[in-house]
Amino acid sequence: MHVPLLNIVDTVRSLGWGGAFELFRNGVVLGSLYALIALGYTMVYGILKLLNFAHGDIYMVGAFLGYGILTSLGGPLAPSIPLVPLIIFMFFVAMVGAGVLGVVVERFAYRPLRNAPRIAPLISALGVAFFLENSVLLLTGGQRYSYGAFELGGNPDTGEPGPLFKSVFNVLGRPVTVVQVLVVTTSIGLMIALTLLVSRTRLGKAMRATAFDREAASMMGIDTDRVIASTFFIGSVLAGAAGVMFGLYIGETYHFMGFLAGLKAFTAAVVGGIGSIPGAMVGGVLIGLTEAYATGYVGGQWSDLVVFGILILFMLLRPSGLFGSKAIQKV
Amino acid sequence: MRKLVVFAALGTAIAVVTAAAFGSTKAPTRTASAASATVTCGKTRTIGLAFPATGPAASIGQQQGRWGAFAAKQWNKTHKTKIKLIQGDTQLPDTAQALAVAHQFSSNSKMLAVSGPAGSQEVQDTIAVYKAGGLAGVSGSATRVLLTRANGGKPRETPKGFFFRTVPTDGQQGDRVAFWITKKLKKKRVYTIDDEEAYSTGLADQVEKKLKAAGVKTTRDHVSQTVSDFSSLITRIPSNTQVVYIPWQLAGKAQTFQQQLRAAGKTAIVFGSDGLFAPGTFGPKEGYVTAFPVDFNSPLLKAYKKAHGGQDEAFGLPTYTSVWVNATAIDMACTAGHGKTTRTAVRKTLSKVKLPAKQSLLGFDVQFLTKNFGSYQGPGDMAAPADFAVFHIVNGKYTRVG
Repeated sequence: MHVPLLNIVDTVRSLGWGGAFELFRNGVVLGSLYALIALGYTMVYGILKLLNFAHGDIYMVGAFLGYGILTSLGGPLAPSIPLVPLIIFMFFVAMVGAGVLGVVVERFAYRPLRNAPRIAPLISALGVAFFLENSVLLLTGGQRYSYGAFELGGNPDTGEPGPLFKSVFNVLGRPVTVVQVLVVTTSIGLMIALTLLVSRTRLGKAMRATAFDREAASMMGIDTDRVIASTFFIGSVLAGAAGVMFGLYIGETYHFMGFLAGLKAFTAAVVGGIGSIPGAMVGGVLIGLTEAYATGYVGGQWSDLVVFGILILFMLLRPSGLFGSKAIQKV
Repeated sequence: MRKLVVFAALGTAIAVVTAAAFGSTKAPTRTASAASATVTCGKTRTIGLAFPATGPAASIGQQQGRWGAFAAKQWNKTHKTKIKLIQGDTQLPDTAQALAVAHQFSSNSKMLAVSGPAGSQEVQDTIAVYKAGGLAGVSGSATRVLLTRANGGKPRETPKGFFFRTVPTDGQQGDRVAFWITKKLKKKRVYTIDDEEAYSTGLADQVEKKLKAAGVKTTRDHVSQTVSDFSSLITRIPSNTQVVYIPWQLAGKAQTFQQQLRAAGKTAIVFGSDGLFAPGTFGPKEGYVTAFPVDFNSPLLKAYKKAHGGQDEAFGLPTYTSVWVNATAIDMACTAGHGKTTRTAVRKTLSKVKLPAKQSLLGFDVQFLTKNFGSYQGPGDMAAPADFAVFHIVNGKYTRVG
């Protein structure tokens, strides 16, 4: 196996500062998507101590919902409504649809197992993941569907891209496009909204109380079932938004897209500190940057190796993650 | 109630596992007996069609399914003996499904021949099963050189007489691509990205070797088929790259890649392999793609287009040829056996089949080599003049240029 260690220095030099910025830009955009998915993992773990492995597939369903709205409203080459309301509508349907799916999954696949040994809901989560993937496989025949975002609003005769892929500004000669700005700003906006919800609202307070001690929260009059359902809804809404943004940015959606993205988002949640909301955000961006720089400087076949290598390192050296706190055990 | 549910689930699981174990013990026995069985030919003969009806390669696989079905329909219209196609969905690139189909076909004692599998990696993984079942595969798209010819110090990967193909090889494709880039396009800086599958790496190796020999500056890179975000990979491609060669199988991915390449402001021409011949799916602003040789003036091709919404779906056409080859071989073997035949007899007859150009739809007579020929062809490959065509793509519109 060719290990290109000596080539890395050459590659860094040849790509220069422009290439370094381009990789940074790519990493931040990708990391924003991972962060949004990671938030769902971390919120559910914080409240239920459950690793919801079906979460990546909820993101996948969100992407398909967005695609469905796009095609039912004329498709990328001839949309029947203007671009901005179209995108807003795609987000709305995907987010609400994914949120509802998250609540349904919680109600039927996890709630009955709330008092079962911890492995039971974990296995149920895996079962839900396979169920969702294979359901979509059956419906779509395994084909990949393109959002056609590159052509959305563009000129099909000349191949001119649409406004989403026009450059907003350049840094060191490298373009930053509308869709990249959209992904990052929307992700930041959603993360800020989530932080405010958790820290400033009654629901957020109830969520924090339930995460701290579910039994005590219930005894204090908090409807913990409703709080847990709300947590799943919010996490799934974020995943649905990430799904649409992936479709607009990358272009394709298919039944298996949630598997690897979910694993990387899970890695991000672990790196940031599972159960920590700021940790999931930072972890997501770190994983995105790692993937971008590993691909750019070492090679495409190394990026997954590096990302999951980091997961193993964190589990060995700092299992609580960057922002997680070590659990204090009473003796 | 909960205990009842748990016990029912456990019971079902045990039943499934037992059935699978019992079934798998039976499967080799069924395959062995089917391999040696004498079949009464009758009026209707059975051919298996292994292709990716679903999965990431479905867009090109379904073309093969439709062309195969068209071949069966045409044969049945023009012959007293009839053929019945049994389809097997291999879900390329999931070779586990290809294996399941191979087992299914091998244990079907009525089946006398197979059209497929589609992918080179599927052939590699299933050839042992087909051999055990006595079945030969005639593929309309597996192009890896090593399937029929030892090359570069590596041995041939299929036993002689068990694999045939109605498409040229990667070696011929590699020569064509290198010729086109160096002599026609006159480009000097090429970036090759394989997708780490057998088909792709083999083809990339061939092209890279030829380009280097011609003095072209080449860079080789790799990307997994699971990757959708190519932005960081694209960062590695120097801005002065003139051609990006992508010998991939998934046209949707290639389309995503070339869009991201353009979004990054890179103007290199994208050159795809035959797996990307997918008008409607892969449509760069400017690019090239190699494709199987097809006779576009054939009245049968025009009839197919008329029946399929005006689409010629040329990627699937060699599968028509493979079904026709199999049907002809079965006919010949049945005639020689006075109404009875075996899989062995059909296999041996395949080497003797000679299809005139009018029936092959490839624009030339089809017959198979029995010895090595040239640098890349071996027993099971089509004799000359089989070679790849080249299409120029502008804003998604395909025009044949070579």
